Amino acid sequence: MKSRFAALMIGAAILAAGVPVVAHHAFGGEFDPNKPVLLKGKITKIEWVNPHTWIHLEIVKPDAKDGCQFTSGQKCEEWMVEGGTPNTLVRRGITKTSLANGTEIVVDGYQTRDHSLSRANGRNITFPDGRKLFLGSSGTGAPLDGADPTEGGAKPATGRGRGGK
Amino acid sequence: MKRLFTAFALACGVGAMVSAQQTAKIPRLADGHPDLQGTYDLATLTPVERAASSPLVLSDEDAARLEKQTAQRKVVQDRALDADRKAPPVGGDGSVGAAGNVGGYNSFWIDSGSQYTIVDGKKRASLVIDPPDGRVPPITAEARQRATQARNQAATSDTGAQENDPGFERAPGAYDDPERRPLGERCLMGFGSTSGPPALPDYFYNNLHQIVQTPDSVLILTEMVHDARVVRMNAEHLPPTVRKWMGDSVGRWEGDTLVVDTTNFTEKTRFRGSSPDLHVIERFTRTGPNTLLYRFTIDDPKTWAKAWTGEFTWPLTNEHIYEYACHEGNYAMGNILRGARMKEADDAKKKTERKQ
Repeated sequence: MKSRFAALMIGAAILAAGVPVVAHHAFGGEFDPNKPVLLKGKITKIEWVNPHTWIHLEIVKPDAKDGCQFTSGQKCEEWMVEGGTPNTLVRRGITKTSLANGTEIVVDGYQTRDHSLSRANGRNITFPDGRKLFLGSSGTGAPLDGADPTEGGAKPATGRGRGGK
Repeated sequence: MKRLFTAFALACGVGAMVSAQQTAKIPRLADGHPDLQGTYDLATLTPVERAASSPLVLSDEDAARLEKQTAQRKVVQDRALDADRKAPPVGGDGSVGAAGNVGGYNSFWIDSGSQYTIVDGKKRASLVIDPPDGRVPPITAEARQRATQARNQAATSDTGAQENDPGFERAPGAYDDPERRPLGERCLMGFGSTSGPPALPDYFYNNLHQIVQTPDSVLILTEMVHDARVVRMNAEHLPPTVRKWMGDSVGRWEGDTLVVDTTNFTEKTRFRGSSPDLHVIERFTRTGPNTLLYRFTIDDPKTWAKAWTGEFTWPLTNEHIYEYACHEGNYAMGNILRGARMKEADDAKKKTERKQ
């Protein structure tokens, strides 16, 4: 019973974490399972590059009274969050300017094994209300992949994932 | 030789049948050969192998049900999260595989296909068509031994570094040197045989391939890690002493089918554990204005007791390949190697403390 419960919990964790399957590189070697982080901050820059996108955040330290707004003053620190390949999003009409600098986001993930770096994986990246970035509901007009005609979206996915029709 | 001939005859036979059916509608270049040029999206739900004792063709009902399930899974993955969620658990979130207990990233980055491949108007349950059971033949004892040796090479002092840390790979010395890291992680080649040959879907993302064709050469550009393979038309293979990471590809036309023959591999890519003697025959046949049938036959007696063949349709897309430029943003490599060094130092410190 115990092992069944454990399996269930692992399943739930995988579901919560999004898509932890194959990837370009060993996330487990890069990030420390013992350093979970929850980051709340403003986007200052997006590196729209392969193999993985990096989103830069300005995070105001707890003891700071005022927001720093993209300064590197002592009251703020900059974090970098690793996402996935930008190619998928480019194909849905999303570019590095789709999210304005200053947009507030929330990221949960794990810090790099080198704790001197302020870097983490973007296990989940959302707006403050929990909605995920880059989906149709984010206001970018991005469809999923065009497979569902009811899902709408600004740009039809022609010829893609169509199996060969 | 006989087995290769059998596989070859099978490949030829069906290829000729397809081209005879479709000849009329396919675009052609000035030299009269079919125009294969364009960008194709290889994303598909059809796996390389299918479940034992199941048919090659999926019924329309089964295909529709499975495709709907996939779409529904994606809807669940895309759902909003709790606005007040906390950081994930200390010790890892239980993720397995490449995510290594720290999770991957959101589903919106993923583009793994939404439909099963259609060949001859029918949805397919596997890419493998020969053996007829849709299973890749088991690898030989020699290949198993080779795989074990590859895993155990260069055992070093950091063997203990992986203890009690599922995030780290267990292969000894896996983090000692950038050259021990996988080719994909090093931005040298795609993973999962994306460039091939054989060029397969990676069931994850970045599945575009572009073909550029001249009478003398055919270029196959793979989106993943911008691997480019140049097929020399009507040429002889290079001498066996010249080895190439994607092999040496020469091509010829057999009727309306482009046949690409690739040998001279290295030990670096090891497609499903193959040896450098791997021999891949690919057949590219335009089956309509928007589709190409891709068939591959794999022969390597040092790895499989008999040759095997798979096929799937490459649909044309009007999307563009976004430049991969992989080294530019590959902060991960530095993060991974530095992380391993810090863990070694930490483990050494703990060991010293235990002794005292």
